[in-house]
Amino acid sequence: MNQEELNNKLAEIKDKLIGIEQKPNNRIYLLCEAENNYAVNKFLFEDVPLRFVIATGIDSDDCFEVLYHYAYDQTGCMVTVKAFIRDREKPAIESITPFLPGAGWIEREIHDILGIDFNNHPDMRRLILADDWPEGVYPLRKQCDGIKVAGWGGETSARPTVQSQSPARRTVPLSKPIVAVGPFHPLQEEMEFFQLTVDGEIVTDIDMRISYNHRGIEKISESLQFDQVPFLVSRVCGICSASHPLAYVQAVEELAGVKPPERALYVRTIVNELERIHSHMLWFGLAGHFIGYDTVFMWAWKYREPVLDLLEEITGNRNNYGNVKVGGCREDIPDELRARIIRDIDELEKKVDMLVKVVFDDPVIHARVKGVGILTREDAIRYAVTGPTARASGIDIDVRRDEPYALYGELDWNVITRPEGDVFAKVVVRLLEVLESIKIIRQAARKLPAGPITTEVKEIPPGESCGRVEAPRGETFHYIRSDGGNRPVRHKIRAPSYVNVPSFRASCIGEHIADVTITLAAVDPCYSCTERLAVVDRHNSVIHNYEALLKLSRERTAQIKKDFGLSGLKMEDL
Amino acid sequence: MSWKIWSLKKSPWVFHVNTGACNNCDIEIVNLLTPKFDVERFGIKLVGSPRHADALLVTGVVTAQAAPRLREIYRQTPKPCVVFCIGACACHTGIFRGGYHVVGPVDKIIKEIDPNAIIAYVPGCPPKPEAMISGVVKALSVL
Repeated sequence: MNQEELNNKLAEIKDKLIGIEQKPNNRIYLLCEAENNYAVNKFLFEDVPLRFVIATGIDSDDCFEVLYHYAYDQTGCMVTVKAFIRDREKPAIESITPFLPGAGWIEREIHDILGIDFNNHPDMRRLILADDWPEGVYPLRKQCDGIKVAGWGGETSARPTVQSQSPARRTVPLSKPIVAVGPFHPLQEEMEFFQLTVDGEIVTDIDMRISYNHRGIEKISESLQFDQVPFLVSRVCGICSASHPLAYVQAVEELAGVKPPERALYVRTIVNELERIHSHMLWFGLAGHFIGYDTVFMWAWKYREPVLDLLEEITGNRNNYGNVKVGGCREDIPDELRARIIRDIDELEKKVDMLVKVVFDDPVIHARVKGVGILTREDAIRYAVTGPTARASGIDIDVRRDEPYALYGELDWNVITRPEGDVFAKVVVRLLEVLESIKIIRQAARKLPAGPITTEVKEIPPGESCGRVEAPRGETFHYIRSDGGNRPVRHKIRAPSYVNVPSFRASCIGEHIADVTITLAAVDPCYSCTERLAVVDRHNSVIHNYEALLKLSRERTAQIKKDFGLSGLKMEDL
Repeated sequence: MSWKIWSLKKSPWVFHVNTGACNNCDIEIVNLLTPKFDVERFGIKLVGSPRHADALLVTGVVTAQAAPRLREIYRQTPKPCVVFCIGACACHTGIFRGGYHVVGPVDKIIKEIDPNAIIAYVPGCPPKPEAMISGVVKALSVL
């Protein structure tokens, strides 16, 4: 379906809308009243069909707006449904989660931060705010200044500790054994809380609690000026610290109609691909650690170091580069560094080739991760997953190709997909993507043209826009609204893990406990992203810490090795 | 020097606590274990339980949801315990200062339950692994 056919298709629901706005860069806004929201969304998701990206809740002066963003990947078009809720006293709207589980979290989040009720939502518990956050205080409403919340004010000493019953926790009958994982555990660096309900060795249900990492970045962003925000959003997530600012900057450039100079596009491409390499290598090492191959962990992280050194040479920091600004880049790539970039990634390519060979040849890895944690294509669409998680389930999407930004449209590279949807497919997709990234960097570093890296930006006009970037974990989406002042009035951030993490419900249920560790790790979850937003819980009937789970996972690998008669085999022998 | 301090300095076992960080300090901490930095050769070991820890490496701003957990973890550590605030966020909440869900910084939360806690600061966003090693060495040498 080309763009014209899409436009015609969208015209079919005209009678439910109060307006259609066409904006530059292939952005379409469908305006409707709250009561028609369900029908419009159902039409877009099921009949067109479009891929769900995220929803944004906005407190406008006279009403609330809920924006559902969809992407049409064949033409790089973004379709946004803008529903107006006129009742400010008791704002409510029909939930779309019943047919689109991928919207479950964001609707809970909008309820938390704006107080909009979603009717018929199957699971309307608190998601993003702390257990003891006062009821009826909605931080993203404009009258809430966000610094001191009335009646709470961050006074914490009198508050109860972990014994308190979280309002967000699902109550499970005590007869069913529960495995609690998190929020602090030795391996994953971030806090998250998983509650696995098990039947013997088999996981029958999984529940997640986030909020531990929620810093309220979207609200802080509204208090910063447009040129300060990139430094804030590079700290949304340390590993995606090139992708988030780039997505934001592209949104602002779209709004201001600015085109950065060509050399800046080259620098952006190189920095973003270096980031992808270091992120994927990091993940590969951790995955090795999870299944009991610590050698892989050490080696992968060793090979990653030269990439971090290159990034430090270019941007001045090993992580948190903050290298893009509206209209260009902050730091240039010195010409004498080009030879070193090419040399270092050539060296890295050999190592990655070796790792790819290991993964394809090792029978133990095959037995351990093939067929484990399958996310089917249908579930992947329903949960709206992105990035390597989607591509490993046979969904051929990649923002770098679908809506080319920076320099990706002009370089020669491939999108890697696998149809299986299991952990093995995710490993393969990520490793092969590293090789593609190496190809991209090599071409960009060879062709790097001379010229300036910044262009002047005068003012940001009022309006709205979105920016998309393919981060290592998937599509990063930023939505900006400006009123013509020097600060954004609303800045919505959707990091890829936000839609990838809920897909655990589809991939973990029915698996062995020993396989859950690697299945959870396989989407490369990033909670600081997810939440821009382990103490083991005492009120659960079975206490089981993460170390025990890791041990189980490793024992299973050892057992497979034994069955293969390979117990003495080392990485070096391969 | 009491034998407790002596044994702590000899081979400090550390427990890593993320209280709402952007993941960078955390990755740099894990980086300390990998071949380029390899702190295990100095006897520094990342352990899986606060009950085994001589020191806490705390990163992040301390969000409202994480604060009670941080207190609980500090209570569980055997004393004396050195609390390292790793990164700008842990030291003074950094760029997230004033966020509605931020109740930190770390020293404020720890001092609420133990006014005499030993707290060391390693600033940076993120601090380089070398800076973390240097911070640990400096803190241990004044104990």
